[in-house]
Amino acid sequence: MLRFRNLPVTVRVPLITAALMIILALVASQGVLGALGRVQDARLSETARLHVEGLAVALGPSVLRQDVWEVYDILDRARQASDGQRLLLTVVADERGRVLAATDPHRAPVGEDAAEFGLGAVAPEALRMTGDPVLRVTSPLQYQGRTIGGIVTELDVTDLLAERRQVTLWLLFGNALATGVLAFGGWLAVARILRPVGALVQAMDASGGAPRPIPTTEIPHGDPGLARLIETYNQMTTAVEERAEAERRLADRERFVSLGRLSSALAHEVNNPLGGLLNAADTIRTYADRPDVVRQSAELMQRGLGHLRDVTRAMLDQNRLDRAGQPLRPEDFEDLRLLFEPEAHSRNLALEWEVEAGAEALACQPAAPVRQVALNLLLNAGAAAGKGGEVGLKVSNGGDRLSIAVSNTGNAMGDADLRRLLASGPLPPGGGVGLRLVHDIVSGLGGTLHHDRAEGWTMIRVDLPVTGSGHA
Amino acid sequence: MHTRRSAILAGAAFCAAPMVRAQSDAPFRFALTPVFLDNDAAVISALRTALGEAVGREIELVQRRTYQEITGALLDGSVDAAWTCGYPYLQHRDQLSLLGVPVWRGAPLYQSYLIVAVDDAATSLADLQGGAHAFSDPDSNSGYLVTASDLARIGTTPDGYFSRSIFTYGHRNVVRAVAGGLTRSGSVDGYVWEVLNSVEPGLTARTRVISRSEDLGFPPFVARSDRMDEAGIMACRTALQGLGKADKGREVLRLLFLDAVVPADPALFNGIAARMAALAGG
Repeated sequence: MLRFRNLPVTVRVPLITAALMIILALVASQGVLGALGRVQDARLSETARLHVEGLAVALGPSVLRQDVWEVYDILDRARQASDGQRLLLTVVADERGRVLAATDPHRAPVGEDAAEFGLGAVAPEALRMTGDPVLRVTSPLQYQGRTIGGIVTELDVTDLLAERRQVTLWLLFGNALATGVLAFGGWLAVARILRPVGALVQAMDASGGAPRPIPTTEIPHGDPGLARLIETYNQMTTAVEERAEAERRLADRERFVSLGRLSSALAHEVNNPLGGLLNAADTIRTYADRPDVVRQSAELMQRGLGHLRDVTRAMLDQNRLDRAGQPLRPEDFEDLRLLFEPEAHSRNLALEWEVEAGAEALACQPAAPVRQVALNLLLNAGAAAGKGGEVGLKVSNGGDRLSIAVSNTGNAMGDADLRRLLASGPLPPGGGVGLRLVHDIVSGLGGTLHHDRAEGWTMIRVDLPVTGSGHA
Repeated sequence: MHTRRSAILAGAAFCAAPMVRAQSDAPFRFALTPVFLDNDAAVISALRTALGEAVGREIELVQRRTYQEITGALLDGSVDAAWTCGYPYLQHRDQLSLLGVPVWRGAPLYQSYLIVAVDDAATSLADLQGGAHAFSDPDSNSGYLVTASDLARIGTTPDGYFSRSIFTYGHRNVVRAVAGGLTRSGSVDGYVWEVLNSVEPGLTARTRVISRSEDLGFPPFVARSDRMDEAGIMACRTALQGLGKADKGREVLRLLFLDAVVPADPALFNGIAARMAALAGG
């Protein structure tokens, strides 16, 4: 059944048509054979009745007189007068059940017990075809109101059986032929009718999830329903393309949004050393003749500028998502920490930072997408943790995978957010696309995402295969 | 015989003219032996035409089931003449006279045949004891008297000798009864069996003749003795004995496989008389 369901509709419909035809043919054949059987039974019954009644009338006086010759003569002439094919044997018995005469005295000698000829015999009106080529019919012989003997006749129904067999064969042959022709015709007709549907299915399957519109020349304008269906499909393909484009744009924007969110913290981060640097510059100008002070201030300025350089480099690296092929390094996590710490400070978050994985395990992964994933998760975790909360990052490798777990002490994640993060279905309305971006990137890397909530901690873990495609 | 026939014919012709009385318009009633081929419409029709032409009156052919009925009709005058058997003729010899006897295969004689089914091993009457037997008519010479007298000579009767004996009232029926297996054996007119052998070989082929009697007088044409001088009877005798002279008559003889009809002497039937005596003596 499962396989039948898998068949294309252009095959299934003719098959169903053929099956219905066969059922119809069987029912019709049954009806015809039933009618034929009833007609044959009636004909047979009538033949037997007329034969027996006619004989009974003719035989009465002779049987009463026990006139063997007269009875034989009547039977013999009746046999010759009939077509001689149907009536095989007629036996007339006297009232004691002894054979008085029979059409074939060799089979039923005069004076023998006639009982054996009555075995299986029925009254003419009860005569039915049983499949036996020889049927027996019996009737008492009434004369002047009393029973003076009996008649048993054997009827040869071979021809009727042959007729029934012939009709059955013809019905079988005719029905098989008609069913074949109609099923083939149904196939052609249905295949023709369903050709646009086939085109629709092909168009949907062809480009692997990116439906392509069907050319207007292939739309069957003769069939309003199908035409409307295909036009609707064409509109849907456009809508799907537009939607995919919008999602792409949103994803890109999200990347900048996350950077934007960092920018104020980063400005603060840049601003802090700037005060120190300006102080140092003033000190140098004021105490230009004091080399120790100048040296001290210059070192101070060098440290501040170094910090600024690190921050700007981290930002530049973060923004360069297209650096394909760069392997992940421990420094990337230092960069992330640098980028995230200002956000953590602004929210007064406690940060647990633990990078256990070695450089070799990290090098199997591409840097840019992993950084994007980790940063998105950290920013979300920071937002979820709230003021004074805790955020943790743990990077570990075990067996064949690299795990990046980001946790926070904030409220549990909502269903909509979980669906964004864990499922591939359409995006629920509202909310950003950051979590979905994480999902898409992890899927692209061949990894998996896991969510856990325990003891007030929400934990999102990304498992990436060590021998992943990212290494290529 | 030819001379005597001519003389009788001449006498008949001589007598005929003065005896012509006011012939009634009533048809001449002629009874046919039931034992003969009474199922052949062509024979009946030809006989009626031939006799009618020769007698000069319409002929009504009367058929009855048994010899007894024919004899009764003849004696009570309801038929004028009859083709009967030598046995009934002799039974009423004091009241019946001969109009002529058919000649078959050159003589006015025939035999009685004892027949069995073609696959029956019996070779004589002695082998048939205990079986069913078909006679044609209790007043038939060939179809009853011959076998009954043979049995009388060995001191038994048909009912005692055979398990069952039936009368079929027709020689052809005897052949049918034996051929169909209704009875084991049958007593049949040899002339009828031979004619059937020509016209219905399929029927006689299923039977086999196991014994033939001596030659006996052929079934004669008879009329009441006291009416022999009537013009109709005389014309009938003339017509019968002259069948061979006219086309229609020859056609009848051909259909009946007979040569002619000749005047006959009662002595022709002495053989039958002897068998009657044997039966009575038995």
